[in-house]
Amino acid sequence: MAQTMYSKIDEYGFERPANFDYEVHAEFMGKYMHILVRRAQRWSTLKGKNKFTRSSKLKRFIRKGIPLDFRASVWLQVSGAQKLKEDSVWNYSDLKKKITNPSLIDIIKIDLPRTFPDNINFIGQEQLTGQMFNVLAAFAHQNSEVGYCQGLNYITGMLLLATRNEEASFWLLKVLVEKILPKYSVTNMSGLLIDLDVLDDLVRKLDVDIHKHIHKIGMPWAMVTTKWFICLFTEVLPTETVFRIWDCIFYEGSKIIFRVGLTLIKLHKAEILRTKELSELITCFKEMRNHKDIIDCHQFMIHIFQIPGRITDSDLKNLRTKYSKAQNQR
Amino acid sequence: MSYAYLFKYIIIGDTGVGKSCLLLQFTDKRFQPVHDLTIGVEFGARMITIDSKQIKLQIWDTAGQEAFRSITRSYYRGAAGALLVYDITRRETFNHLTTWLDDARQHSNSNMVIMLIGNKSDLESRREVKKEEGEAFAREHGLVFMETSAKTAANVEEAFINTAKEIYEKIQEGVFDINNEANGIKIGPQHSPTNPSLPGATGSSGSQGGGCC
Ligand SMILES: Nc1nc2c(ncn2[C@@H]2O[C@H](COP(=O)(O)OP(=O)(O)O)[C@@H](O)[C@H]2O)c(=O)[nH]1
Ligand SMILES: [Mg+2]
Repeated sequence: MAQTMYSKIDEYGFERPANFDYEVHAEFMGKYMHILVRRAQRWSTLKGKNKFTRSSKLKRFIRKGIPLDFRASVWLQVSGAQKLKEDSVWNYSDLKKKITNPSLIDIIKIDLPRTFPDNINFIGQEQLTGQMFNVLAAFAHQNSEVGYCQGLNYITGMLLLATRNEEASFWLLKVLVEKILPKYSVTNMSGLLIDLDVLDDLVRKLDVDIHKHIHKIGMPWAMVTTKWFICLFTEVLPTETVFRIWDCIFYEGSKIIFRVGLTLIKLHKAEILRTKELSELITCFKEMRNHKDIIDCHQFMIHIFQIPGRITDSDLKNLRTKYSKAQNQR
Repeated sequence: MSYAYLFKYIIIGDTGVGKSCLLLQFTDKRFQPVHDLTIGVEFGARMITIDSKQIKLQIWDTAGQEAFRSITRSYYRGAAGALLVYDITRRETFNHLTTWLDDARQHSNSNMVIMLIGNKSDLESRREVKKEEGEAFAREHGLVFMETSAKTAANVEEAFINTAKEIYEKIQEGVFDINNEANGIKIGPQHSPTNPSLPGATGSSGSQGGGCC
């Protein structure tokens, strides 16, 4: 990774944004390399058949980042994707043979060149693009309620980059959409509408000033946070930060999305309060990826478990119930 | 830069018809054949001149996929103009126009000016929808019609500017209540007598020039 420090392309093939701060990044990488080495050592001490079985120790380890080499296996194990695969009555290669729906094929094909056009592993590359098509079409075939929903293309692309394995990516996509995330991708995105209200509620509890300011300017949350939920921060935050977030999502679930969102908002309090109109506020949200504390993904991952305070699964469940009732009344 | 009026637009239509490319061509005068697809909504702005008045266009580009409609619908409200786009090389995008129109009419204010656009006119050899069909549809539903190419920029300026002209005329005729921001029109800060700072979902008081943010 060291030699890519000053490269215009990141470790995963993405072109860095035009206003990327190479100095802050270099400084961070100097520090992060040591952390990665240390974490790799610690992970190598995990032994035995059950080394990736869910446990408080493994959870702690995961919060500090899964080494690249283990990422695919750990995600598969802790998320339940592996179990889904073992319990399934059909297998992935049989499923692939059933992809025949022409309108589905068309709609996915339109989006292939529009997924990661700034990534050297995708653009004009048949291998990963072909695998992405297979995963998306197979997924849509076996889940007709969701089918193909835009956003899944980004998630699949990231899964392929992380695992370099088509079949693993399929099962991970399935477990994310069907088990881990609320109904973000079904017909009317009901789960997303609810979670936008939940986010609003949590922001108000976290920081009244920010909440008031956003409402005064009149920005609907959907305008800047849809990608947070639908793409799980892909195209929003630096790639390494996204994968570190996903490490925790696969273990701890969708609650992590709120932790990350609230942390992003809180870290930008001064910038948010300084905006005077809608377009400035939107720009502020779009530029969050350049914040020093966010490029330093290791520090950022510490922040997300401190800054938002306590959010339990049952808190979240209650809020979702509350706002799903509110949605139904609209 | 100051403006006399701010008009809010929304761009709608099936996924892949070229909505984002049209917006980019209008705001940045360039065509980017490969670019990211739109998740949710994106935002662009540009200043134009009509009747020697500066008018700021604030444009919302939406995701076309069915599932996103629950999100994008809320942007119809508070839009003065809509560009309803289909792709002349894909008939099904033309077939879906009635659904789009029903949706737009149902969720927008009744004075919203709708411009029907048949995009990708540069792809003549792959044309599936005749120009006459677009014209007929527009006539039948009381829309303005134009074929454009986001690639060659043909008619792109005209599409956005003619929509603005229609809105401007409606203002002159007194059809639009310009004091109600829900109509997607705002009077520039120094042009309004009381300079009210209005609350609500459209509280932008633009002072910067064109270009996408
Ligand atoms: N030839 C041609 N291609 C276009 C034109 N407009 C858009 N495209 C292509 O159509 C695809 C979809 O465009 P996009 O703007 O993303 O569609 P959207 O989903 O409606 O926003 C892109 O790959 C563009 O390259 C056009 O006027 N001519
Ligand atoms: Mg688009």
